[in-house]
Amino acid sequence: MLEHVLNGFYYGSILFMIASGMTIIFGVLGILNLAHGELYALGAFCAFSIVGFLAGQVAAPTGPATAIVFGLVVLAGSLAAAAVLLPVGGALEATFIRPIYDRDEVYQLLLTYGLLLVLTDVMKFVWGPSPVDVGVFSAVNEIPTTELVGFGYPSYNVLVILIGVAVFAWLAWFFDRTKTGRIVRATAINREMSTAIGVSTDRMFTLVFAIGAFFAGFGGAMVSIGPSSASLGMGLSWLVLSFVVIVIGGLGSLKGAFVGALLVGVSSRVVTPYYPQLELAVPFLLMVLVLLVRPEGLYGTWGEIQ
Amino acid sequence: MSRFLVERDDETRVRLSEGMELTKGQSVLAVLGLAVLFAVPDITRLTSLSFQAVHRGILFGLAAVGLNLLLRHTELVSFGHAAFFGVGAYGAAVLASHFDVSSGLLLLFGGVLASTVTAVLIGYFVAGYLDIYFALLTLAFNQVLYAFVLQSGYFNYSDGLSVRPDGLNPPTLFGLQWSSAGYDLILYYFTVVVLVVSLLAMWKLVNSPFGRALDAIGQDRTRARFVGIPVEKYVWIAFAISGVYGGLAGGLFALLQLHVSPDPTLYAFVSGEILFMAILGGFGTLVGPVVGGVVLVYLLIQAPFYVEYYNALTGLVLIAVVLFLPEGILGSIPKIGTGLARRRRDPGLLREDLTTLGSSLRRGANRAVTTVRIIVFGVN
Repeated sequence: MLEHVLNGFYYGSILFMIASGMTIIFGVLGILNLAHGELYALGAFCAFSIVGFLAGQVAAPTGPATAIVFGLVVLAGSLAAAAVLLPVGGALEATFIRPIYDRDEVYQLLLTYGLLLVLTDVMKFVWGPSPVDVGVFSAVNEIPTTELVGFGYPSYNVLVILIGVAVFAWLAWFFDRTKTGRIVRATAINREMSTAIGVSTDRMFTLVFAIGAFFAGFGGAMVSIGPSSASLGMGLSWLVLSFVVIVIGGLGSLKGAFVGALLVGVSSRVVTPYYPQLELAVPFLLMVLVLLVRPEGLYGTWGEIQ
Repeated sequence: MSRFLVERDDETRVRLSEGMELTKGQSVLAVLGLAVLFAVPDITRLTSLSFQAVHRGILFGLAAVGLNLLLRHTELVSFGHAAFFGVGAYGAAVLASHFDVSSGLLLLFGGVLASTVTAVLIGYFVAGYLDIYFALLTLAFNQVLYAFVLQSGYFNYSDGLSVRPDGLNPPTLFGLQWSSAGYDLILYYFTVVVLVVSLLAMWKLVNSPFGRALDAIGQDRTRARFVGIPVEKYVWIAFAISGVYGGLAGGLFALLQLHVSPDPTLYAFVSGEILFMAILGGFGTLVGPVVGGVVLVYLLIQAPFYVEYYNALTGLVLIAVVLFLPEGILGSIPKIGTGLARRRRDPGLLREDLTTLGSSLRRGANRAVTTVRIIVFGVN
């Protein structure tokens, strides 16, 4: 049971990393970004190249100490892979998304769907059509994390859970405590007023989109260094699931995305072993229930990051 | 004036029925469109176009026509229309493979019945919601159905069901067992008839008091409620009707493919595609969704045979439509037509076009420079 719950936390952490990017983009820019799943896949592919290169530079771990060094190198590589998404996200926002803020939401959906298709083929062009695998999962597991408290659980999963919590903490700190974060929130609440007091909304929106893309890419990098490989179609199911997460949590709410992701993660991992036929349906049943009872989601606030 | 020709607004119009009158230009276009539809089998035989892809495109287009009733008039974005398409297809497939019903029309009827019931049920829950919540709730119901079908042995999991009642032959059409080629042809003509009847029915519907009421709901719900329109009930009815169109398209799809599996019929992205067909063809028009359906299906199915990076091709077409043709393919034709006519009369306008183009290019370049600066030096 504990293992299922931990698996749920692991699953929820990755979901949160993708959904957090989507929810801040939606909360500030008002764009439901269908291409978000592909940004996540792009992060996974970049991690394949960058982490693969870095892991080749250091020796495979032999003891706990070298294992920790190895883990740090992998983590740095994942961050570097996600950092690739910053300029990519900024450029996408400035070129394609900026002209359509005032248009109907159906056009925004259509445009981001077009971007999704184009990004898929860009990745196909760079990395080829077949899935790629970094293969550092078992090496990361050499780091002894759970042996100290007396039971065996993959270190990689523990690492991802910790990183998920760290991402949440960083985002909460950024939007709550830093000047830039507060300016972003002000822009989200009232665009005209922030323009009037001298905030460049264009720059803010580019920044927010880049941050969103960064966390999607980081989630992808975290998955890519794990047991699963990076493939072209990997973004689709996560995209739909992160929709579910941000709807359950309330559109535009960071706390909601965190709670929603953990809720979806834990419930689907705990239910699946007992009722395998419910595996796919659980998140959506949860979403329908929440929407019918509380249409604005658990922590729903319109167009405001909290 | 005869029964079929009426004089209105200083123009002779062709009268099809009460209140349904076409101008001369419109009737020519309608006749031309019908002729093209009926000639598709011959056109595809003579050229390298794919008959199957056009047929599938028309079916998805029919579903998009149903979706357009919501999108155009009540301004609700449904992101779950694959549910009705899929239920329609599975309704026919279940009847064929579990109950050995061999009549194609009965299978179609079963599919439509199933999707209507589904639409009425889902519509009951979603009719009160607005905007993005409506879209996401319909998406959620769609995915619940998808997950249910994918995990259920009755529907044979992800492998899907065959629509061959005796395990070998396709269903009968009009009481006869056809050869493979004949079956496709008869089914195609049947589809065209269904499409034309559905379009006429939709035309009547949106021009009826009920259609006007839907328009009012789309413009302002509160005002519509004050005028005395039972908003939720009307949205529910419109939702059910659009479900009937989806089921009709799905049932015909099952008859065409002779095999139904969850991914091409029920997955959330099929919903997205149906929505995008309506926008691509022009969701302000009646026939636009069908055109969009044929174009998008063609891009999605046939493009892989011509170019390696077919996804990028489709994506670029969609992006171009959003940025340059916001009214969609069919919706933009009148605008382009009048623009061209004005330029033919007054060639001086062309110079203005060049200056506009030049300044927009300059603005684009400026924006690109700013973006690069932001990326290089950080924000603020």
